[in-house]
Amino acid sequence: MPIFDLSHPADLTAALFPDLLLMGGAMVLLLWAVWRRESAAHQRTIGLASIWLCVATLGAVLYMLFHQGHVTDGPIAADSFRFMVDVIVLLGTIAALALGIDDNDRMGTTTAETHVLMLLASSGMMLMAAARDLMIVFLGIELMSVSIYALAGLNRRSVRGAEGALKYFLLGAFSTAILLYGIALVYGATGTTGLYEIHQRVVELQLGSSPLLLIGMALLLVGFGFKVSSVPFHMWAPDVYDGSPNPVTAYMAATVKTAAFAAFLRVWLEAFNAEIGTWHRAVAMLAIATMVVGNTIGLLQRNVKRMLAYSSIAHAGFLLVAVAAGSMQGASAMLFYLLAYTLATFGAFAVIVVLSRGDAPVTTEDLSGLWTERPWLAVAMAVYMLALLGFPVFGGIGFFAKWYVLKAALQAEEPQIALAVTLVLTTVVSAGYYLYVIMVMFMRPRPANSEAVTPTPGWTRFVMVATAAAILILGIFPDQTVRYVVRGTPRLGAYVPPVKTAPARQAALTH
Amino acid sequence: MRAFFAPWMVGPNAEPTFLVWIVATLVKMIAVFTVYMVGVALLTLAERKISAWMQDRHGPNRVGKGWLQPVADGVKNFVKEETYPDAANLPLFILAPILSFVPALITWSVIPFAAPWGSVFGNIEMVLAPLPVGFLFILAISSLGVYGIVLAGWSSNNKYALLGGLRSSAQMISYEIAMGMSTIPVLLLAGNVSLSQIVNQQAFETWNVLNLTVAFLIFLVAAFAETNRLPFDLPEAESELITGYHTEYSSMKFSMFFIAEYANMVTASALMATLFFGGWDIPFTLWDNVAPHTALKTLLTLGCFATKTLFFVFLYMWIRWTLPRFRYDQLMSLGWKLMLPLALAYIVAVAATIVTLDALGFEHGSVPFHVGLVLLNTAAVVILFMIVDRGRLVSPAYSRLDRRDLEKLRAVSSPHRAQPVSQAGD
Amino acid sequence: MERTYLPILLLVGFVVTNAVAIILISHLTLRPRPTAEKQTPYESGMPVLGDARERFSVKFYMVAVLFIIFDIETVFMIPWGAHFRQLSCGTDLVAGVCPTGQLSLFGLWEMLVFIAILLVGFIYVWKKGALQWD
Repeated sequence: MPIFDLSHPADLTAALFPDLLLMGGAMVLLLWAVWRRESAAHQRTIGLASIWLCVATLGAVLYMLFHQGHVTDGPIAADSFRFMVDVIVLLGTIAALALGIDDNDRMGTTTAETHVLMLLASSGMMLMAAARDLMIVFLGIELMSVSIYALAGLNRRSVRGAEGALKYFLLGAFSTAILLYGIALVYGATGTTGLYEIHQRVVELQLGSSPLLLIGMALLLVGFGFKVSSVPFHMWAPDVYDGSPNPVTAYMAATVKTAAFAAFLRVWLEAFNAEIGTWHRAVAMLAIATMVVGNTIGLLQRNVKRMLAYSSIAHAGFLLVAVAAGSMQGASAMLFYLLAYTLATFGAFAVIVVLSRGDAPVTTEDLSGLWTERPWLAVAMAVYMLALLGFPVFGGIGFFAKWYVLKAALQAEEPQIALAVTLVLTTVVSAGYYLYVIMVMFMRPRPANSEAVTPTPGWTRFVMVATAAAILILGIFPDQTVRYVVRGTPRLGAYVPPVKTAPARQAALTH
Repeated sequence: MRAFFAPWMVGPNAEPTFLVWIVATLVKMIAVFTVYMVGVALLTLAERKISAWMQDRHGPNRVGKGWLQPVADGVKNFVKEETYPDAANLPLFILAPILSFVPALITWSVIPFAAPWGSVFGNIEMVLAPLPVGFLFILAISSLGVYGIVLAGWSSNNKYALLGGLRSSAQMISYEIAMGMSTIPVLLLAGNVSLSQIVNQQAFETWNVLNLTVAFLIFLVAAFAETNRLPFDLPEAESELITGYHTEYSSMKFSMFFIAEYANMVTASALMATLFFGGWDIPFTLWDNVAPHTALKTLLTLGCFATKTLFFVFLYMWIRWTLPRFRYDQLMSLGWKLMLPLALAYIVAVAATIVTLDALGFEHGSVPFHVGLVLLNTAAVVILFMIVDRGRLVSPAYSRLDRRDLEKLRAVSSPHRAQPVSQAGD
Repeated sequence: MERTYLPILLLVGFVVTNAVAIILISHLTLRPRPTAEKQTPYESGMPVLGDARERFSVKFYMVAVLFIIFDIETVFMIPWGAHFRQLSCGTDLVAGVCPTGQLSLFGLWEMLVFIAILLVGFIYVWKKGALQWD
């Protein structure tokens, strides 16, 4: 069992090894990408190299996950929560890169840097998952967001793309500023940016009613609310998701959300754990609003990407339920949910990549009668929709994901009856649009004048098969999966139950 | 009388009382400001006289045999009519010269201009504000000047002014990076950002121009570009842009841009003297650096500082009449593709050399330490001029001509070799 | 504190007063007598075509963006440069000198990594042609 002394540069480097590997590799790839003239072949090469880099990083992360050492206090965590989030982020990145190679080919995009930008965004996300200091959280968010701003505007010739990218950039910068101001106020109230130190100061100095701390927490909540696109901070999401290239949209909907929720949860449970009474109601209300609005407006969408955008808002609501539970069980339920959601989202967007033509949006019209033309495509899409809905058996782990979140809400110290009821009711509402897609695909005839669906490109097929298989197979063994996911989550950094204080944590570190 | 002043006479080594300090500060402030304003007026005359001298003509010689020309210019500008173009944005149009004038005349406040004077009223520092962040202050304030220029260009609503303003701002910010980076090695040696400390360190060790020759060369070039002087005067290239960003300005508002430009030039010269030529330090002696700090030492060091500064001002004018103007793409690529990587590489080289010399046991400030640095610089300069440049920048223009054309040109230009064609010539 | 920064405030006040005074005096000495011709922008005597405030080359924006990146790099380097001797010493300096055998390469490595990261960006920008003015 290695012991990392984070005050020592060599140990800090070792604890950050997967992140550094990804960042260093991304920089090498950036130079490689720009060294050769832009061409479709070069773009594919860089995309492939990026995938291999992610696989290597995934190997390093898995090694760290199974060989965790003890870590002293420091600005970064080396717990299994971090590494599980890293695994989900990297799986999402691999899927996004694979889709990106094909989508770039389809759109005629030859800039190889698109893949490198994704790698850089992912390294920012990994930093967010590792951060135990608000400054590192901010650093990760910036590294992620700046790359995504550029990725969102990749369709330079598309008006909707430009609109979405600009909207995302302005609102993103705005929300980051709010977040930073929140960090500044929390720092002002407690005199530190370390998450655990904040917790200590809050307990020691009885800061529960300090207006600085409360306003700071509120601003942090708003900042994270923007990043996870929860209602009422969700306005940007549909336009941005609609305008961005398909793989980038999937990446934003699933992977960005994963990282944002990871940082969100860690900040809330590690730094403000003692204040759970203060923030709990706010988060619960956000969750209810997000679930209701996301699912209701989702019913009205006929553009599949916009529909998935509202579905992603709705899922942010479900995930907020897990955060609002405020327990370790909630944390592991959130991780499991994120895994299921990532798989289903990337699968659904893989289908959209196949169906997209030029810059035109994919509507439910394009899906009608898909069963008669491309039965396997229709079946795969049905699996993703059922997984997103949380349908038993055919929805695979989607069902269990919702189930665990529900369980976490009900088994929390204070059972969250209202949240649980809303979750169930809005899930029923969401069936209205998920099942509509399936109904259209299987029960409507193919319109006579519709063009033939293009053959599925190789990487897209890989993503579809892999995600559908994972959803169904993991759905058969949810317990094992959950056990892996849960394995480390009780040691979320230096998590301290609200009643106990520092000595208990020391014991937890040394046992 | 003595009894009256007694409460303030704290002796030559003590801190002066607040009253004495504020009086001294006000005196320094007004004195240096006056020197700047008068100096700028005289520099316009000097510029014209020197250019006349270099071009073998008379220069201004009407108003008071030429010596009163600056006064005449000043009065004329005060009583000239002001014009405001129709489409100009009036508030910004008026604000721009102020924004250009103010930073140019406050940058000097952290430059020490003489040895401290240990008077009976206490030890009076010969710098307006001995800021601990000295050099950062200069970087910060001097980069404010770009606002005046870009606002002048934009608010005039004149295409030439706009182009001049844009060019100028792009050029100034490009070279600011090289300028900032060229001073990092100075900080590496001084271990401090305060300019007084940098002067002291040079006085007791060696002038930085020997230790850090390459940094000085980068700083010199960047300073020329920062002040928009030839060979980098693209923003006001007369043949292309009339006069650039101040085309629409008349009367004193025009003069303020002019004053700002010359004041920047003087400040840049003073900075070069301070950072690389020992500031007010009199070379080859430590007599001026140690107590007692008499008034004589202060005056002599002030003279020394003025001489060094004026030398660089003269260098400005000399180069103006020697080198032709760059093309804009050449200017930008010199700044970004040569100066920036060069400055970065030089920082790494100097830092590595310092660590190596430390590891070898040569103390900071000892003779072998500086010999090591001088050797590094000699090597760097040789590499720079012989290998990197290969006669592209640092070479006489004729070296690029065909030999036969060269002979022809020589024959035309030097009357000693060729037969005199005519006696004419004005 | 007051003796370091008060002079700067005084000087700024003094210079701004002077600047405003210069503008006021020259404004008061002679009343402007505008004519239509005098008011048009001077463009070498040619009739003025259109407004000057049009879109200009994107290169200028690019330079501004690059400037921010590299200027911040410079600003980061200044404190590093001023503390280089402390950073390259394993313990505290004794009278400005590092005790023998305590030399550390921490300061050098730290900046080498920083410069290397920015160098990657610089090479990217160069190869991408953002520094090309044609």
